[in-house]
Amino acid sequence: MKAIVIYKWARATASARVRESGEVDWGAAKMTAGDDDPAALDVAKAIAGADGDVVGLTIGDGEAAWALARGVATAFTAPQVGPLADESATAGALAQAVRQLGEVDAVVIGDDPAHPGVAPALAAHLGWPVVLAVGSAALSGDGRVVITRKAGAEVETISLVTPVVLGAVAAGEEARPPGMMETIKARKKPIGELSVAAPAEAVTSTQTRRPARSGAKLLGGEPAEAAAALVTELRGDGLL
Amino acid sequence: MSIWVLATAADQLSPLLAAAREATEPTGQAVEAVVVGTAELATAASGMGVGRVHWIETAPDIPAEAYVGAVADLARRAGADVWLSGAAPAPRALLGAAAAACGAGLVGGGVALRLDGPTVTVERNALDGAVVETLTGPAPLAVVWDLTEAQPVDAAATAPVETVAAEPSKSGLRRDSVEPAATAAGLLTAERVIGIGRGVKARADLALIEDLAADLGAEMACSMPVADDLHWLGPERYIGRSGQRIAPGLYLALGISGEPQHMEGVRGAKVVVAVNKDPAAVIFRSATYGIVGDLYEFVPALREALRQD
Ligand SMILES: Cc1cc2nc3c(=O)[nH]c(=O)nc-3n(C[C@@H](O)[C@H](O)[C@H](O)COP(=O)(O)OP(=O)(O)OC[C@H]3O[C@@H](n4cnc5c(N)ncnc54)[C@H](O)[C@@H]3O)c2cc1C
Ligand SMILES: Cc1cc2nc3c(=O)[nH]c(=O)nc-3n(C[C@H](O)[C@H](O)[C@H](O)COP(=O)(O)OP(=O)(O)OC[C@H]3O[C@@H](n4cnc5c(N)ncnc54)[C@H](O)[C@@H]3O)c2cc1C
Repeated sequence: MKAIVIYKWARATASARVRESGEVDWGAAKMTAGDDDPAALDVAKAIAGADGDVVGLTIGDGEAAWALARGVATAFTAPQVGPLADESATAGALAQAVRQLGEVDAVVIGDDPAHPGVAPALAAHLGWPVVLAVGSAALSGDGRVVITRKAGAEVETISLVTPVVLGAVAAGEEARPPGMMETIKARKKPIGELSVAAPAEAVTSTQTRRPARSGAKLLGGEPAEAAAALVTELRGDGLL
Repeated sequence: MSIWVLATAADQLSPLLAAAREATEPTGQAVEAVVVGTAELATAASGMGVGRVHWIETAPDIPAEAYVGAVADLARRAGADVWLSGAAPAPRALLGAAAAACGAGLVGGGVALRLDGPTVTVERNALDGAVVETLTGPAPLAVVWDLTEAQPVDAAATAPVETVAAEPSKSGLRRDSVEPAATAAGLLTAERVIGIGRGVKARADLALIEDLAADLGAEMACSMPVADDLHWLGPERYIGRSGQRIAPGLYLALGISGEPQHMEGVRGAKVVVAVNKDPAAVIFRSATYGIVGDLYEFVPALREALRQD
C-alpha cells in the first residue's frame, strides 16, 4: 500500500508572546512539526505495511528532514502555499499536492485541535471518506483499514476500504524521536517541490486581542493567609 | 442571511443554536438544523427554536461520517451563509464536506459570530487560548464552534422535520465494535476534583493530598506523567486531551504546569485553582485563582483553613 503522511511545519505555539495590545510577538520562534504528526506517521506506516511506501508532504518552507529522519524515503512540499487562515484553502492546496503524487491508498494528517478543519476539508476536496481522531490503524486481511479511536467515554473500532483520509491524534510526546545523526543525515537530502498555486483565501485575520479573562486572581501572603483567602473565595462562589 | 447548524448528538445542539440565535437576533435571520442520527435527535432539534430540521437517518453501526455525500448535496442546494458544527469527529467531518461543497471558507475555534450584510465576522480562540483572533470574510463561511457548555433552551414551537434521503458512503464505513473506555467511578461526575502533577515529589506524599481530598469530598486525578510514567494513579484518572474530560465545580491543581493538553480536560470546570511554586507556570494564565507557593506548605494550611471555616 502507499500512504502519504502530511505534516505541519510551523512556529511552535508555545514560543508566541502576547503583548498588552493583544498583538502576537513570535520572536525567534523555532519551527516544529505538529504534536500529532508523529502519530500520523505511525498510522501511515501501519497502513503502508512493511513493503509499502510512505511519502512525506508539507507546505511552505517545511523541511524534508522531519520525515526523512523518521524512515520516510521521499518528502515533498508545495512551496507557494503559505500559512493560511482559511483551512479549506489549506486543504484544497494539499489535495492538489496529493493528486500530483500518483495512486495513493491513504492520506494521514495530524488532527491538530488548532486546525480542526484541515483534515475533513482535505477529504472533501479529494472526494474521499474521512475518519478523524484516529488513535491507531491497521490493515486487515481483506484489505480494510481498521481504526481504533476514543470517542468520549467509549473506544470505537471502525473500518472501511481505501482510499481514505485519516486525521490522527497523538496520546503523548513522541516515543522515540530520531537521534542527532539521523537528523543530520536527513538534512543532506533535498525536498521535492510540487507546483501548487497559492490558493485564494475566503477569510482574513484582522486582529488578535487578549481574552477578556486572562490570568488568575492571585491569592498572596503566607500559606495560612492564602488558604484562608481561598476558602473565602470558594465560599463566595458557592463551591464549599 | 441564514445559519445552518450540523449536529450528530443531542449535546451539540444547544450551544450551537444559542450561538446561531445570538448572531441572528438583531435581524431575525433563519436558523436551520441538519441532524445526522436517530429520530430522537431529529425530534430534539425540532423543539429548539429552529425554522426547519433536515434529518439524515443513520443506520445502526454506520457512523455519521458515512453521510458526508448527502451533507455535501444539501450544502450545494441550501444557500446557507454560515455553517456551524462542534469539534467532535463526526460533525467536523460533515462540516468539512459542507464547506468544500459550497465553496465556503473554514475556520476553527469559533466563540462569537456576527453577520453584517454579506460579511461574516468570527472571533475564535487561537494559540491555545492565549489570544482571541478576529477573522472576516464574505459568506458562505463554515466554523468549527468551540462548544464549552450546554445552554438553556427556551421552549419553542416545534419545527418541521424534513427527511433527507441518503445513502451511506460506498467506502463501506462501519462501526465494528464499541467498548467503554476505562473510567474511574465518580471522577466524571464529581463536584470537586484535586489534580496532582509532577510537583508532588514522592508517592508517599499522596497520603497528604488524599487527606485533603477527604476533607473536601473530592475525587483524585492527575496529569498524564503521574499516571503514565510514575503509575501513582491509574490511567483512567489522568485529565486532558488524551485522558478524561471533566466538568466539576472546583478543580484544584497541585504542582501541575498547565500545558494546554492537560487544561483541555478541565475546560468545563467552573473554577480552577492552581498551586504552583513557579510564578511563570502557564497554568496561571487560565486558572481562576492562583497561589504561587509550595504545595507542601499550602496543602496543610488549606486543611487548617477548612477546619476553622
Ligand atoms: C498540513 C499542514 C502543513 C503546514 N505546513 C506549514 C509550513 O510548511 N510552514 C508554515 O509556516 N506553516 C505551515 N502550516 C501551518 C499554517 O497553515 C498555520 O496556519 C500557521 O503556521 C499558523 O498556525 P499557528 O497554530 O501557529 O497559529 P494560528 O493560531 O493559526 O495563527 C495565529 C495568527 O498568526 C498568523 N500567522 C501564523 N503563522 C504565520 C506565519 N508563518 N506568517 C505570518 N502570519 C502567521 C496567523 O495567520 C494568525 O493570524 C501547515 C499547516 C498544516 C495543517
Ligand atoms: C500529544 C500530547 C498529548 C498530551 N496529552 C496530555 C493529557 O491528556 N494530559 C496531561 O496531563 N498531559 C498531556 N500531555 C503532556 C503535557 O504536555 C505535559 O507534559 C504534562 O501535562 C505535564 O505534567 P505536569 O504538569 O505534571 O508536569 P510538569 O510540566 O513537570 O510540571 C510540574 C509543575 O509542578 C511545579 N512544582 C514543582 N514543585 C512544586 C511544589 N513543591 N509546589 C508547587 N508546585 C511545584 C513546577 O513549577 C511545574 O510547573 C500531552 C502531550 C502531548 C505531546
